[in-house]
Amino acid sequence: MTFWKLFARNRGAVIGLLILFLMTFLAITAGLFFPADPFSLAGVPMSPPGENGFLLGSDSLGRDVAAGIAHGAKTSLLIGLLATLVAVFVGIVMGALAGYYGGIIDNLLMRFTEMFQTIPSFIFAILLVAIMKPSIESIVIAIAVVSWPAVARLVRGEFLSLRNREFVQACHTLGMSDIRIMLGEILPNCLSPVIVIGSLMVATAILIESGLAFLGLGDPNIMSWGFQIGAGRTLLRSAWWVCTFPGIAILVTVLAINLVGEGINDALNPRLRERT
Amino acid sequence: MKFRNLATAALCAIGVAFGPSLAAAQDAGGTFVYIVQPEPPSLASYLSTSGPIGLVAPKIYDGLFDYDNDLNIVPALAEGYEVSDDGKTVTFTLRQGVTWHDGAPFTSADVQFTVMDVLKQVHPRGPNSFREVTSIDTPDDHTAVFNLANPAPYMLRALSGYESPIVPKHLLEGQDLRSADLVNNPVGTGAYKFVEWKKGQYIRLDKNENYWKPGLPHLDRIVGRFIPDASTRTAAMENGEVLYGAYGAIPNIDAVRLREMDGFSVTTDGYSMINPMALIEFNTTIAPFDNPAMRKAISLVVDRDFLIENIWFGYGKPATAALSSNFDATGLYAAGMPNYPASGDVEAAIAVLDDAGIMPDADGVRGSFTLDLIPYGEDWRRAGEYLKQALMPLGLEVELRYEDVPTWIKRIYGDYDFQMNINYFYQLSDPVLGVHRHYGTDQIRPGTAFVNSSRYSNPEIDALLAAGAVEPDADKRSEIYAEIQSILAEDLPVANVFEMEFLTVYNDKLKDHATSALGAYGPFDRVWIEQ
Repeated sequence: MTFWKLFARNRGAVIGLLILFLMTFLAITAGLFFPADPFSLAGVPMSPPGENGFLLGSDSLGRDVAAGIAHGAKTSLLIGLLATLVAVFVGIVMGALAGYYGGIIDNLLMRFTEMFQTIPSFIFAILLVAIMKPSIESIVIAIAVVSWPAVARLVRGEFLSLRNREFVQACHTLGMSDIRIMLGEILPNCLSPVIVIGSLMVATAILIESGLAFLGLGDPNIMSWGFQIGAGRTLLRSAWWVCTFPGIAILVTVLAINLVGEGINDALNPRLRERT
Repeated sequence: MKFRNLATAALCAIGVAFGPSLAAAQDAGGTFVYIVQPEPPSLASYLSTSGPIGLVAPKIYDGLFDYDNDLNIVPALAEGYEVSDDGKTVTFTLRQGVTWHDGAPFTSADVQFTVMDVLKQVHPRGPNSFREVTSIDTPDDHTAVFNLANPAPYMLRALSGYESPIVPKHLLEGQDLRSADLVNNPVGTGAYKFVEWKKGQYIRLDKNENYWKPGLPHLDRIVGRFIPDASTRTAAMENGEVLYGAYGAIPNIDAVRLREMDGFSVTTDGYSMINPMALIEFNTTIAPFDNPAMRKAISLVVDRDFLIENIWFGYGKPATAALSSNFDATGLYAAGMPNYPASGDVEAAIAVLDDAGIMPDADGVRGSFTLDLIPYGEDWRRAGEYLKQALMPLGLEVELRYEDVPTWIKRIYGDYDFQMNINYFYQLSDPVLGVHRHYGTDQIRPGTAFVNSSRYSNPEIDALLAAGAVEPDADKRSEIYAEIQSILAEDLPVANVFEMEFLTVYNDKLKDHATSALGAYGPFDRVWIEQ
């Protein structure tokens, strides 16, 4: 069966993928539908949804909530993807070296990893952003720094179990270099769990970014969903729409990414493949 | 009311101690819980003017004076005072029979020690308030004679228990003021005695049975609670857990909602000696704000009404000069200054830039710079976001920067590594105390927070400020300040935005809490709770 057919067996995953496409479309076309700066004071402050020309209402300064969500989608997805890519890259390098060489290198790298794992990740992210001053770069770095240890652990485990297999030993006897064995032989065989954990990591990254922005540690010059919720939370009882809609956007996106991750997991897992 | 006070007096007179359960028809007794936010760093009001210290320490320490809501002097530890004809000698008659909470008697030596060895040395504003005091004579235990180098009329406005607390000489003398036991274990002469400080939770003060005001205080105990989250504070107020929250403890948006509910009231009283002003500080030493036209354009374009209406929910008044209109009472405020339009004037701002030759480039950009935001909460971020938008029509691109408090203070007042900063200052009860620090060349003090960060230096202003500080004649003094304000309205090293109105939200059960001009920074000695 092809990958797509396996993936499509999971109804939820397909729905998730659809939502994700929609969000990506929204992010790409944000400038088209909402050409104005999402921070611009577009009209009457605190207009309820549907009034004064605001589809989803306006916030305390008269900024369009709908425009904020569209432009915020770009920020959230971009940060989610970038942070995950960085984290996965670092995680693979660390995990591969530790798992392949073992011994003292493994010991050193894993103690180093544990140092990161023992600090609660969100608190650590807050600390990093506060030190570096909130900006989009510092947020991506902070999320990547708190996310890579999970990948490193996973990759190390896979490398450990694969490095003594016959095909790897065959490569050794053929005289292949370590780098080539690691990249060309072992890595492709442990990629599927990495892809799954990576897809779920995008969702976590979006949540961390929103949490940071909510606490006021987002980039003040960039619209994001977390920023909208943070700016609207004091208005919750008098203007519910300001943080409700961005909240729904986060919920739906994170849920969609999780569903997709689940679908990929199902499709890539050989044991599940045989079951039906 | 009358009956209640009589009853209280009678009961106190015969020394009956009664708990809340017995006090059904009385106004005495009870525990008054109020919000202290954030938790104070210490209780040493003689070392720091930090807001939360002011919410607690003035209940423990008295000043020589208190002030009523019309800013009249009310005698406190000083029963009376006399200023000599040349204004250079001020004689205070001190109250007799006052004791410290540990039982030691209060004498003129305490006053002498407090002013000369404590406030003039380590208090942030003390060196300014008492700048002219050269020595203090104590001919007897109840007389303190202040000898001044020059007349200092403003000094009499800086003698409250908040601004200039009188501290016990016998507990501080010979000790390191910053690490003495008194810092966290205050002993004063005030209405309440310090009992307990549960870190992260509350500070508890109990009634001073030997308070020098007969029959006061009514309450058995006051408790200042620390509640970090704003919506939790509002909820605590709503369900009656706390009865009083000042200095924005209850966010304006919730205050306007509580105002409409039965049982709660909102007041802007109790801040007249604080006189807070929201403002923009410009770094006048580097581009682009070394050019006065840029500063003027920004003062012109800001829609002060919009900010007040939409971010502060209608509480505030557009600023119109370097001085707050609250100084009108003392004749120092000058109305009708240019460059302070209430609701913004984009055309005028553009004209100013055009005239100064600051032209837009091919992309329509006349300049780009960073705006630092005071990290004291969401309102200020909204104000920054508003400013960024408001400056776009001028072709000015703004990047916002929001940092934590120590980094921000170091950036603005230590390293001067900023271009434009939004902030607020207390103008206090006299320009010498609260306004001179913005503009004087001598107020360029690297590392000292909340002084002349613009590094504005104008010999003409320096001379006028020096003259204004010592001028005893009221008419001449208002002329001097009128001239200062008209120069500053053109130079604008600092653009005032609006006169802030802080809100106090309180439960209607609470009575007589606003009897001092200092409001929440006052002594709370007459407060009582309707049972």
